[in-house]
Amino acid sequence: MTASNLHKWATLPDPSPAELARAAEGDAQAFKLIVERYQGMVYSVAYNVLGNHTDAEDAAQEAFLRCYRKLPQFRSEATFSTWLFRLALTASVDYKRRERRHPEPVETPELAAEAAPQLGEGVDAATIVAALRDLPEDYRVPTVLRDVYGLPYQEIAEATGRPLGTVKVMVHRGRASLRLKLRAGGAGPEQGPAGARPRSDA
Amino acid sequence: MDCSYFRERINQYVDGEMDYMEVAELQAHLSFCPDCAAELAQVGEVRGALAAWGRLELAPPPGFAERVTAAVELEPALGAAKPFGQAVNETLQKLDDTLGRIPLPGGRTIPVKNVIGWGLAAAAVAIGLGRRHGRRSRELKPL
Repeated sequence: MTASNLHKWATLPDPSPAELARAAEGDAQAFKLIVERYQGMVYSVAYNVLGNHTDAEDAAQEAFLRCYRKLPQFRSEATFSTWLFRLALTASVDYKRRERRHPEPVETPELAAEAAPQLGEGVDAATIVAALRDLPEDYRVPTVLRDVYGLPYQEIAEATGRPLGTVKVMVHRGRASLRLKLRAGGAGPEQGPAGARPRSDA
Repeated sequence: MDCSYFRERINQYVDGEMDYMEVAELQAHLSFCPDCAAELAQVGEVRGALAAWGRLELAPPPGFAERVTAAVELEPALGAAKPFGQAVNETLQKLDDTLGRIPLPGGRTIPVKNVIGWGLAAAAVAIGLGRRHGRRSRELKPL
């Protein structure tokens, strides 16, 4: 994944071994503390892969259930946040492959802290959300996995079950489409609130 | 070479998938072609904006943590007997993790367990056909 993004999630404070042990023994309250700490990360991944709130909530919940079931197998070779990040990506991509829903109208998601972020010259959160929303489904998932989360092409091919060459073509087309949309000042008008706020530590 | 040759390679360049000679060739072209240089800059801006977006954390809907915790409480206790379907799924998943996947041409992969499964199914069909053929041969034996 992109070094900066991996670094960001990897620097979230991991639960202590005692907290993890309690959660792995089935202590629902201990697990709730983990959910509260990491819900933003897991939900963000699910939203970016799936592109709408309803599916993102379902997939994020599925990611936490997988985390709960696999917690006894967690080994501290990776940080907990990196391990959970991968679970969230896998759960979201699996959800996308399983559910072929028509996307609902997309609201700009609320971010977790104050002040609207600038993501580039003249590019704000609403522009990115709208541009990603308007990408064809087949382009959006590989492009998000590659350029939002920095996954290697081979890993994207395995996750999506598509040939490596096809994945590359989809990402290239996704970038070309996004380039045109961002140059044109974003996609269509937004529906709903545009209360985009970055994390306080972002 | 014209611009279309280089424009097709801009994505390979930003993905770090070019060798030294190809990079040198592209950079030489970019040094005197402002259109291709502009396209490269725009692709870089798109990737930069997407990476910056990925570093932001979205706020989950209100009550999300409570709903997840409620769903977790409905799960069978860790270590307790699991429903048959879930146990089968988890066993297959563990098999997948242990055996890995076989790469195919074109970048596809298939789980090793599927190949083993198909092999077993083919063997079962072959054995079944063999027995049937043997029985028929015995039945049709001339007097």
